[in-house]
Amino acid sequence: MAHSDIYAHIDRSAYTNLLAKNSPITKGFFALSALIISVSSQSIIVPIIIFTITTVLLLRFAKIKAHFYLDLLIYPTAMAALSCLFIALFFGYGQALTQINLPWFTWTIFKNGITMSVNTFFRVESALSCLYFLVLTTSITDIFITLRRFKVPRVVVELSLLIYRYIFVLLEISVKMNTAQKLRLGNSGLIKRMRSVALVAGNLFIRTLEQGERTFVAMNARGYDGNIRVLEDLPKPKKAAIFGIVLFDIILAIAIFLTTNIGVV
Amino acid sequence: MLFKLENLSHRYSDGTLALKEISLNFAKGDRIALLGTNGSGKTTLLNHLNGILKPTSGKIYFEDKPLEYDAKSLLSLRKRVGFVFQDPNDQLFASTVKQDVAFGPLNLGYAPDHVKKLVDDALKTVGMTEFTEKPPHFLSLGQKKRVALAGVLAMQPEVIIMDEPTANLDPRAISEILHLLLHLNTENGITLLLATHDVDMVPMFANKMVILDKGRVASEGTPKESFSNTELIRKVNLRSPRIAHLFEVLKKEDNLPIDELLPLTISEARKEILELLNSGINSMPEGDKRKTAYTR
Repeated sequence: MAHSDIYAHIDRSAYTNLLAKNSPITKGFFALSALIISVSSQSIIVPIIIFTITTVLLLRFAKIKAHFYLDLLIYPTAMAALSCLFIALFFGYGQALTQINLPWFTWTIFKNGITMSVNTFFRVESALSCLYFLVLTTSITDIFITLRRFKVPRVVVELSLLIYRYIFVLLEISVKMNTAQKLRLGNSGLIKRMRSVALVAGNLFIRTLEQGERTFVAMNARGYDGNIRVLEDLPKPKKAAIFGIVLFDIILAIAIFLTTNIGVV
Repeated sequence: MLFKLENLSHRYSDGTLALKEISLNFAKGDRIALLGTNGSGKTTLLNHLNGILKPTSGKIYFEDKPLEYDAKSLLSLRKRVGFVFQDPNDQLFASTVKQDVAFGPLNLGYAPDHVKKLVDDALKTVGMTEFTEKPPHFLSLGQKKRVALAGVLAMQPEVIIMDEPTANLDPRAISEILHLLLHLNTENGITLLLATHDVDMVPMFANKMVILDKGRVASEGTPKESFSNTELIRKVNLRSPRIAHLFEVLKKEDNLPIDELLPLTISEARKEILELLNSGINSMPEGDKRKTAYTR
């Protein structure tokens, strides 16, 4: 899937998934608390539980397509796997798993290095699933309104709102310009391609300025006075849901204590 | 008079004199089409009417009071005079249709419940209710245009200004938006002011037509009067509606006895043709008979 498609698809699912109508506060609370718990875990058990639960919620309840979810997971997973391989091979101390004698030094692979690597890998995966849970089930509008309710500075929220909206407008323009260049053979050869990309980038910058100016005028025409007001009619978080999440978090926190320092080798 | 422009001139900061001594009157309930080539000053003129631009010289009166440009007067002017921009992407900035339509009424300081009702009503009027929760980038251009119009309607304006309402739309979308605008004019009494290139659309819609040429008013009148002045239409690099052009040719080349005021729409043309047929070709001068398509 092309990158621009992935962005559009994430955005689309945030509006159309079956959990879209649930309170963003509930969803955000669940995702962030599970994220904190999984990164503070010292074993693979709690991350695996969290990963399984968020994945089931996404695929079963929000009805996100499994192959799309896999598409999203695959790149970060590949990166995490690579990093964790290095952790396994070069980190650790204490009890050695194996030693390789090379002519100029002795390369030791430590047991706790392997443990650390595997733990890190599962923590990354479960943290990813938590973030994807939030991103795929909660529209950006809901997130903005929630941020505003939690007193995040106006300027941050309003800028994000405008940036978010015009990313899609500018993305469309850049795709069109790129196509126009391709049609006139601007992509034949590395030098020409670099030149074409540079032209698009430069042009987009100017377009952005113009777009900003026009949008400002249009906003003024509808009575903009420096504050972007939004209609706040989010679903209220259900007490039972919040209570359930707190209970879930407490159980996981206890599980962390019980599973601390379980090695994998 | 709703709007009265007196010797309005505008010079942009780069020195271009975009409007020259424009004097015009618009009455309440009018449907005005503003025609002119690219760069004739249409958009500049429209931008003056809700205070986006300030005249370099001359005066604008809204209901006999000169426009003022402090924040409070502008807000009350913009509540009453809505502006729908040519490119809906300029106007739709919020992340959902609902939030965008709510922007104007919220700026007017209405209570959330009232705003919700206004938003629902406006989206219903333009037929976009099912898209309420969608982000603008999910919509087609025609749909975006209707949402942009809803964003203005939700402020309950008395005047709606639209820059190129039919540009780049497919025929169906054009006819839908025209019907919608006519409905707003006849049912809600909203005064309409449209800038357009679409000469075929004008007679179906407007009761008054202003032609701008190089920043000046070239003509002012009903579409029938203005389009019948074919010399002027050519001089300002516009063209007549296809139907008017056909009748002009029939009149000049084939010497058919056609009225001074050319028919502009299909229904007018139909009437004219039936009249011609009924009155009989016999009434024509003998010599011309052979030249007409009617003689076999």
